Amino acid sequence: MAKKRTEPDRPIQMRHPIIAEGHTPATVTDQISAVVLTKTPRWWYVGFAVAFSLVMVLFMALAQLFVKGVGIWGLNNPVNWGFAIINFVWWIGIGHAGTLISAILLLLRQNWRNSINRFAEAMTLFAVACAGLFPLIHMGRPWRFYYMLPIPNTFDLWPQFRSPLIWDVFAVTTYALVSALFWYVGLIPDLATLRDRAKNKFAQHAYGILAAGWRGSSRHWHNYEVASMLLAGLATPLVVSVHTVVSFDFAASQLPGWHATIFPPYFVAGAVFAGFAMVITLAVPLRALFGLNDFITLRHLQNMAKVMLATGMVVSYGYAIEIFMAWYSGNGFEQFMITNRIGGPYKYAWFALILCNVLSIQLLWFKRVRKSVPMLFVVAMFVNVGMWLERFVIIVTSLHRDFLPSSWDMYSGTRWDWATYVGTIGLFLALMFLFIRFLPMISIFEMRMILPEADEVKEGKK
Amino acid sequence: MTSTTATEARYAPSDFAPPSALAQPQRMAAIVGAVAALACAVGAVLDPAQFFRSYLVGYLYILGFPMGCLALAMLHHVTKGAWGVVIRRILEAATRTLPFMVILFIPVIVGMKELFVWTDPEVLAHDDLIAGKTPYLNVTFFLIRAVIIFGVWGILAFFLNRWSLQQDETGDNRLSLRMQGLSGAGIGLYVLTASFASFDWLMSLDPHWFSSIYGVYFVGGQALTAMAFVIPVALFLSRQAPMDKVFRPSHFQDYGKLMLAFTMLWAYFSLSQFLIIWSGNLPEDVSWYMTRTAGKWLIVAQAIMFLHFGLPFLLLLNTDIKRSARRLSIVAGLILVMRWVDLYWQAAPAMKVAGLHWMDVVMPLALGGLWLWVFFWQLARRPLLPVHEPFLKEALHHE
Repeated sequence: MAKKRTEPDRPIQMRHPIIAEGHTPATVTDQISAVVLTKTPRWWYVGFAVAFSLVMVLFMALAQLFVKGVGIWGLNNPVNWGFAIINFVWWIGIGHAGTLISAILLLLRQNWRNSINRFAEAMTLFAVACAGLFPLIHMGRPWRFYYMLPIPNTFDLWPQFRSPLIWDVFAVTTYALVSALFWYVGLIPDLATLRDRAKNKFAQHAYGILAAGWRGSSRHWHNYEVASMLLAGLATPLVVSVHTVVSFDFAASQLPGWHATIFPPYFVAGAVFAGFAMVITLAVPLRALFGLNDFITLRHLQNMAKVMLATGMVVSYGYAIEIFMAWYSGNGFEQFMITNRIGGPYKYAWFALILCNVLSIQLLWFKRVRKSVPMLFVVAMFVNVGMWLERFVIIVTSLHRDFLPSSWDMYSGTRWDWATYVGTIGLFLALMFLFIRFLPMISIFEMRMILPEADEVKEGKK
Repeated sequence: MTSTTATEARYAPSDFAPPSALAQPQRMAAIVGAVAALACAVGAVLDPAQFFRSYLVGYLYILGFPMGCLALAMLHHVTKGAWGVVIRRILEAATRTLPFMVILFIPVIVGMKELFVWTDPEVLAHDDLIAGKTPYLNVTFFLIRAVIIFGVWGILAFFLNRWSLQQDETGDNRLSLRMQGLSGAGIGLYVLTASFASFDWLMSLDPHWFSSIYGVYFVGGQALTAMAFVIPVALFLSRQAPMDKVFRPSHFQDYGKLMLAFTMLWAYFSLSQFLIIWSGNLPEDVSWYMTRTAGKWLIVAQAIMFLHFGLPFLLLLNTDIKRSARRLSIVAGLILVMRWVDLYWQAAPAMKVAGLHWMDVVMPLALGGLWLWVFFWQLARRPLLPVHEPFLKEALHHE
């Protein structure tokens, strides 16, 4: 360290490398494609089996739900939105980091994103899939889901266009569609690499079809660049808009605890916060299991920790302003809501939430913590839990003691609520396991672009 | 470009000494400011109540320049974006005007009784809602908060300026890390203190009303003000030595993008607040918009919609406009005007004004002129480029 400080003007000492030294395009390609093309490791079978059995739990919970109806959940009269909406918001929030990494960081030319964007985007896609499930199964008659869409019909029944719940339908479907497109387009050059390297016939054909005839000509690359920039432009507003609409689901109502103007920015920050926590949660074991420490370096983990700290501070600001405004409003119902939230029957949930989302992240101010992989993982786990608790607290404590004390009630999830929730975690993990086995989880060609050699080529051209 | 690190010419701070041409806009600003201030002084004698109303709007408007610049400077230190290096000295000079802003705050304190209804014992006796807020809304605590707010801003501005100057002398990279560290915490402190500044100095004009997004809405406005201010200054500097060889169209493109981003951010906060309050339609919330869309205020509200967001948004999408410093400055000028309109539209209806008073318009010229005079004085005191910034090469060869 001391030696470096004596030579100014060298950026390298200010930033850790984003790819370990000594790599060439060939070693990058070998190492990442090997994860897919070599024999399946035994731990993969174990992990996938666990995840898949949780998917079975999900199917069981869903079957029970379709047979018996939403009465098997813990919903009651004041709390008519429970686990389903909590889980919906939790999952959709997690997805946001993937979009932020793939779209916004691409537009901002932050090339450190290149090694984490692929699996972060996959995470987005799978998280949105889990999220989308909840509003559908909450409907009571899920087979009538198309009623949410503005389809001309003989009854002249239209959705209520002023309702944010309908905006949600559009926001989430757009989000799923754009994320899927973005992810697939980004995969094409790598699918072609796998096609060319695969040894067995079936894999060659499968990757060949998916690669859509990619031959890597300069025209292909040109079209690819244009398409990915356009998709990034399209995806960028989605990072903000999706969770803004989700926040409107609450804020557009008149309920104290939901009707707060700070909700949109604070929900968006919370979404990115939760998403980065999940990316760290996934990145830490992945880099260890597949020996990818050269590509997902400490620099990545540190940068993600910083984003997590920044967004976590925004979320903390939201909590603080909410409390202050509830008092400042002079509105008795607002004041009751906040004292009930902090000191009422759900006070433990609130304190746990503050511990996870506000206090635990303060550790990230210290470089030592940001550089320690186990510590980062622990903080990320705290945030994963904290963001779930946040939605629980917002939803349940605002509803359970409403304007009419005679209808006050307590809410807790039943075993079917928990089974559904745990089941979606299983679904998420199972999809993730399939993804890391069959597709390159790090973008091979984008990693080649950030090698020092790539810079030399660029400068040589000038 | 062509050279490699080994043969890179090292710059000295003296290579970027401020040009003598800075004296010209400084003199202009001083003349405009002095004349307008004189007119306002006459106005203060003729109509003290109106003077304070105009003063508050003018003050909050001008406050956006140095405070927004502080925020941008910290944002640059934290993100280490190449865009910030070449305008860092402009931002720093603006933050050094803070003592001047503290002095300018004195008339707000003097006019408190005129401006804020919650200081009136008569109102408190009859309005339980406002009386319930007295633990927060009282003169003593208001002043204590003002001291804390200015204190925090002062500390941040002081150390960022001091370390930046030290780096010019020693070239020590550790100072960059130190500035980065302070800025990380500083942005949080700034947003928090500026939020309470907005609650105290703007929102409490209408003590019945509250909105939890108001703080960030105000902060977003300050950041946008500062970005729109930096662009014309950068244009001026880019027209003469030594900065003419530094600024490139790509820099202005970045500033255009940032201005677009802040325009959108401001609009996002503004729309979020409106949509939530409109949808809830609760009397305590919606009254704020009712007064601000009634009669002639509706025209102002629509003007804000189209000229503060719509037109700049469309113009800033265009790459050619962003890359041309001159055209970008015109858009920035429009935004600067609309920033004042926005604050006036928020503040004036709460102060029950009859209509636009001549002092409303002259006051920003007076305060702005005097402020620019101080700003240019500060800008001329230091080299215009932090030559020992570790990412200087990246910033200069920016594409």
